[in-house]
This record gives sequence, C-alpha cells and structure tokens, in this order.
Amino acid sequence: MIDLLKKYPAYSWVLLLILGSCSGESIDPGEEIYKFEKPAHFPEPTYTFENNPVTKEGFELGRRLFFDPILSRDKSVSCNNCHQQSRAFADMPLHGMSIGVDNQAGFRNAPMLANLAFMREFFWDGGVSHLDFVPINAIESDVEMDESLANVVSKLNQDDRYPGLFKEAFGVDEVTSPYLLYALSQFTLLMVSANSRYDQYILGKGELSTEELEGMQLFDQKCATCHSGELFTDFSYKNNGLSSSFKDIGRGAITEDEADYGKFRVPSLRNAEITAPYMHNARFSTLEEVLNHYEQGIKGSPTLDPIFMEDGKVKGIALTEDEKIKIISFIKTLTDRDLISDPKFQNHD
Amino acid sequence: MKILKLMAMISLTTLLWSCGSDDEVNPDEFGTFQLYFENKVGANSITLRAPGSTDYDYETSDGEPFNLSSLGYYVSKITLEGPNGEYFQDEISVNADEAKGYYLLKESNSISRNILLEKVPAGTYDRITFTIGVEEDGMKEGAAGGVLDPAAGAWFWNWNAGYIGLMMEGTAEHSGQAYVDHGNGVEVLEKTFGFHVGGWKDVTDNENFVNNIKTITLEFGTTVTVNPHLSPLAHLITDVLKVLDGAEVDFSTTYSIHSPKGGKVLADQLLNAFSVHHVHQSTSSHD
Repeated sequence: MIDLLKKYPAYSWVLLLILGSCSGESIDPGEEIYKFEKPAHFPEPTYTFENNPVTKEGFELGRRLFFDPILSRDKSVSCNNCHQQSRAFADMPLHGMSIGVDNQAGFRNAPMLANLAFMREFFWDGGVSHLDFVPINAIESDVEMDESLANVVSKLNQDDRYPGLFKEAFGVDEVTSPYLLYALSQFTLLMVSANSRYDQYILGKGELSTEELEGMQLFDQKCATCHSGELFTDFSYKNNGLSSSFKDIGRGAITEDEADYGKFRVPSLRNAEITAPYMHNARFSTLEEVLNHYEQGIKGSPTLDPIFMEDGKVKGIALTEDEKIKIISFIKTLTDRDLISDPKFQNHD
Repeated sequence: MKILKLMAMISLTTLLWSCGSDDEVNPDEFGTFQLYFENKVGANSITLRAPGSTDYDYETSDGEPFNLSSLGYYVSKITLEGPNGEYFQDEISVNADEAKGYYLLKESNSISRNILLEKVPAGTYDRITFTIGVEEDGMKEGAAGGVLDPAAGAWFWNWNAGYIGLMMEGTAEHSGQAYVDHGNGVEVLEKTFGFHVGGWKDVTDNENFVNNIKTITLEFGTTVTVNPHLSPLAHLITDVLKVLDGAEVDFSTTYSIHSPKGGKVLADQLLNAFSVHHVHQSTSSHD
C-alpha cells in the first residue's frame, strides 16, 4: 500500500477520504432528517423498526415508489394520486371517494397518512394490523390500482433503475415484495405530524388564543371520549349514526359480527382542517357539517354507539353555535404546516 | 470383499455404539429429523383434478362425491420432545429475507411435504407438536419473505391481513356453486368448492374474532433416536376426510369459505385430521 502511495501520491487523498468516512465519527447532518424520532408527548410507536430501520436510501426509494404509477395495472395511478402532501396525505376534496384506474370510483374516503407509526390497525375497518401490509390493499383493489403484488415486483425487476436502488437500500440483488413494502413503510413512517400550534402549546413553546383554548375545553368535554390522547383517537370502531342501514358494513366485514355492522375507525383529528371531506363515505364537506351531524343528525340503528343513546332514544351532542365555532377553532390548531411543506416528502425523481 | 466386510463392521459398530449410548447423550451432539406429510382422503391417496372435473375420486361419509384440485396448509412452530426431557424447537425467523420455521405444504409438490429438521439435539424422541397456520407472532413482524411472501405464492388475505392456514379446493357433484365470472380471466366454475381457512386474530377486548390457528401434538407410540449418524423419519398422515366429515360438510350449502368465521367449522376438525403412520430410524428421505 505504501509503495502504491509512493507511486501514485495523487491518490493518497482518496485513501484519507475513505478512512475518514469509515471512522463513523462525523455525522452527516443530511442523514438526520431520515431518522424516526418519537415526539416527546406521543405514545410509543407500534412499528417493527427492528426489522426495518429507516435509512436515507430506503426512505428515498419509498418516496420514488410512492410517486410512481408503475404500481398500478396501467401505470396511471400512484399512491400520491389519492394521498397528497398538501392534504396531510389525504385525497383532495374534489375526490370524496378516490379515483382509481379506468377512472373507477372507490367506495371509501382516502384517509390522511400521518402518524402511521403509532397506529395499531389500518384502514377504516382496521382489517390490516401491520403498516407493511397496507399498500397491498391499494395495489390489488379492483377500483384502486388493480394490479397484483407479484406483477408489481416483476415490473420493478425489469425496470432500469429499481433493481439498483433496492440494492443500495437493502443490499438485495432482486426486488421482492417484502422489500418493496419495507421501502413504502419507511417513506410513510416519517410522516410524523407533531408540530401543530396545539403541539407547540402543549410543549410550552407557543400560545393559543382565548377562543382556541375555550374550544379545547369544549373539545375535552364533548369530543375527547373517542378522539382522545395525543393522536386524537382511541383506536376504536364506532357507529356514529351516519345512517340507519349500511351499504358498507365496515368493521363488521372484519369481525363478521352483526354487532359491528356500520362501525368504522375513530379517525385521528390531526390535520382535520385540511383533510375534508369527512367520514368513511365522505358525507360531510366541512367541519361545521360534522358538528351539526353530532348535534342533530344522528340516525338510530342497532349498532349505534351507546354514547348517542339516552333512555332508548337517539341523543346528539348538545352544542350551541358558539361552542361549535370554538371547537372548530381548536381543531384548526391541529394543522401541521411543517408536515405539508416538508421538502423531503416532495417528488424528487 | 474385504472392503465390504470392513464397511459392515463399521456400520455395525456405529449402530451398536449409537444404541448403547441412549443413556449417556453427549449434549454437544446433534442430528437431523425428517418429517413426511402424506395427504389422504380416508384410505385413498390423492390425485389432483382440474377444477370442474367430474371425475369424483372420493365420497364423504354421507355419500357425497367430490374430488380435489388443490390442497395445502402452513406448518409452523415444530417441536420434538422425548421421555428424558429432550426438547427441540425448530428455529423461527420472519423478516424480509426469510420465513424460517414456516413451511407451506402442498399436495401438488411432494418436496414441500418433506421437512428436514436440523440441529436436533441427540437423544430419543416420542412426540411432535406443530401449528397449522401463521399465528400472531408471525404476523406482527410485518412484511416477510420465503413462503410468507405474498408476491411469491404465499396464501395471503389482503383485506383482513393474514395467511390462509388450510386450503382445500375441488369439485363436488352436488356443490351449490354457480358459475361466476370475476373478469380479468378470473372465474369460478360451476359445482366447484373453495375452502380457505384462515384467521389468527385473538384480541382480548374483542370476542368477535375467530382464531383458526390450531396446534397439534402427536405421539409416535415409540421412541426414535437422533444422533450424528441416525436421522429418524416420522411419516405423518393428514386425512382431509376427517375435516370434511367432522364438520358435516354438505357441499350443496357449503361450497365457498373465505373468511375466519366461515372456516371455523373446518379448523375445529384439524385436531382429528393428523396422525402418525409410522416412525423409523433412517438415513434417507421418503418421496
């Protein structure tokens, strides 16, 4: 080696560089943004990071896949079609029920993707219990991407770029479905929404207005039974009285129990301001409509949540117009401007 | 000739030595153990037919003619136990690269029905335990490779994410199934039946879920010895007629099972479907 360096002194700096980068003492500040960090006031994440730690290469591969319509049958639909950053990765209001290949209409409202690392179950019916398995539903749904997972893997293996990118991210010579799912999970895992004005307030770093604080108190009294904790959901499935009969049985399709017909996930309310329309069937287009529903629109059915029943009769949540305005002011403090403007979630390919 | 004699002597010595050493097992010694799963319908061997075929090879105890076009199941969490506290647990490892300890046994692939257990501690064994299906601890690891890779032939449900523990498909003379065209070349033929038994969720605060994962323990009825020179074989029988008859399947009303609750009647019979045909000391595998 010394002889070689004597012979080619100009290359000695290369060696220094290599040694320097191997020492591991210097941390590239660029890598920090790819680290998953649990916000101090959040619960422990549920994701299996020990199997799939987030890395720059894995995240960037996931991002490329997220924006690539190669995942769909006719290369017309990408994840991003229905999960847009400006909407906290929910669909745009125009598409209450998202649009899949051949312009087919979906049958449920595409939810936001923020804070998936902390969820125990996924989708409106909670049928999937691990984040890795989530994209399979969208890929294989007839009305979404209408493609088989096996065919996606085959297309990626035949692509000019992907095999090399999977090699960089995971050290594998062949694209396989678990690594495809790992990459997509890495991209979505970093969509942590914990820097809203509410969070700043909770962490003692910012103020809320009097109206917002009054709204928070009202929210705690009237909404937080279900929309509880820092994720603003108790992770349960409830029938909130949207209708008295069910075209979509929701949770009932997973548990196969009539007692669960018409029940759907209690969604997180983080970023609710920018994720209209609301409910699994996109019934309401404004937060005002949602609160009006809880006040006076609840429909009775055998599975209606008991919280909306009193003495055998349907009973809404008592809300004055003033209270509604304050609660909505508070809900708007849950909007995370950082999440929707963070350049690392934008298409770079 | 001399060589043959020498070989015979060596073999005999090995045999005597291994038989004599039962009571003083070297804890550092390991061997292999072979499992062979043979699927049967009652006393009959299985011939797979094309879906819709009217060659009915078997009958249920109610005299309902049927045949099989696909049959298989996941076996996992294999353990062996012996009378002197011998214990072997097949290694489990689920991640993107592998699904070690999980086996997808298909009637159509005899190789898949031969399992070679490695690094089995030397000793005597008289009992085997295994699980049919993929339990919660396999699911919670997330995306998996090997026989659990949904893009590489794993039997996976995406909508209620989990694996199909037992799959049985075929045609029955009196099946109530009508022809269904699902488009994209996917069709269900008349008189076929499809039983996909899955469901692993066992949530304490929700009694609704049906967990169809079953753990089976079978006694060999004798002991077999594992050591570096002896690799015993257990020939197991999976009698699917026990499942169909035990569940009193009437194909005219029961022909399409594709959810945990629907599969419960079949899963509940799995404990009766497995038996030990025989075990023997061996050095080569069955086909």
